[in-house]
Amino acid sequence: MQITLHHAHEARSFRVLWLLEEMGLDYELVVHNFFDKSLRKPEYLEINPAARVPALEIDGRIICESGAIVEYLCEIFPEKGLGRPAGDPERMEYLDMLHYAESIGQHGANLTQAHIVLYKPEMRSPTQMNLEARRLHKVLERMERMLGDGRDYLMASGFSGADCAVGFGVVLARKFTSFDALPNCAAYAARVEARPAYQRALPPVGGQRIYTQEFYEAADV
Amino acid sequence: MIRLHHIPFSRSFRILWLLEEMGLEADLKHYSITDGSLRASEFKAISPVGRVPALEIDGKTIFESGAIVEYLAETRPDHGLGRLAGDAERVPYLEWLGFAETQASILASLNMQHLFMGDPTPAAPVVLKLEAARLGATLKAMDRTLGERDWLLESGFSAADTMMGFNLFSAPYYVAMDRFANLAAYRARIEARPAYQRAREKDGKQEFYKKDFYAVPEG
Repeated sequence: MQITLHHAHEARSFRVLWLLEEMGLDYELVVHNFFDKSLRKPEYLEINPAARVPALEIDGRIICESGAIVEYLCEIFPEKGLGRPAGDPERMEYLDMLHYAESIGQHGANLTQAHIVLYKPEMRSPTQMNLEARRLHKVLERMERMLGDGRDYLMASGFSGADCAVGFGVVLARKFTSFDALPNCAAYAARVEARPAYQRALPPVGGQRIYTQEFYEAADV
Repeated sequence: MIRLHHIPFSRSFRILWLLEEMGLEADLKHYSITDGSLRASEFKAISPVGRVPALEIDGKTIFESGAIVEYLAETRPDHGLGRLAGDAERVPYLEWLGFAETQASILASLNMQHLFMGDPTPAAPVVLKLEAARLGATLKAMDRTLGERDWLLESGFSAADTMMGFNLFSAPYYVAMDRFANLAAYRARIEARPAYQRAREKDGKQEFYKKDFYAVPEG
């Protein structure tokens, strides 16, 4: 099966790249520049008219929503054991967590836009940035409670595709909100970062970075 | 027993509508964004972070609207509203479910900045403009698809269409819809569905929007 992933380092497409590594699949990787107009070139717009990453080409189809890609890959490669198929006792939690990834991800995307993409302070609203950071924290409190029963990963039975979807957002969230009151989330982030497949998916030395700071503080309102 | 925790005109409308399409009986609990009911301890016990939807079903509670839509369609397949694993339309089905949330996250951001940060809003005009343009681009993509067919999937109405139940009715507060003729026709088809009409009757009064259109303030 021919698989090509269109990716930008540290962007949402990381979820898919990491999952492909976890699954040990053969794939071709096309790395795009996140900041210049590369994603707006006509040849890329043919692949993804929204000018975003990821885009996954698989068996002549193109899928662009990272959540859909994760769900689909886990489903068509059941032997990798990373999905929880229909009928599985964890199916409900698995679906809930796959979609929860977007609840986290949207705040991460809004904060990335405010802190990094809008490079001039007068383009930004400190009120919005503070509110986004607080909402991000609030969303993570759900996970904090879930991990409170001592489980290592989102599914009590062990690592799954949902961790690739959510884990990316949790590691990113650490750049925008304090994890002092989220010890379970902090331990979880460290656990996913330690996975060899996660590390293989990281940008190479000298690769383009979206995030150059450890932490992005929201300005005082 | 199925119980839906609901705020009028919010994402939980997606579920309210889908339950009606499936003919499933559900107990409906209404909450208001203005009266503090979301923070009441009774609701906190159901939804610790105080968000809707929350659906109590099959002895558990599930929260994310996209997950609820998938779960309902998959565990009650007789209604034919899902495109389950192995279906020829599985990929576009999942893609539309994801796309609906991509679009909804733009709406949620616009709602937050226009409605919940004070009046006049201290939001940055650059951001408001960018988000409205982004919303417009997602609507344009939908409009193109719906020029070719009645519903999002070629084979007909599906649960993916109910994911648009929140989006399509919030978008006109931020984007002029007159350039999207196919979306207008799609909306009319939705509004003609008896299940949609029953869901709207149960929905309750929306408390988000105080005017018909929120323009980007001069920056």
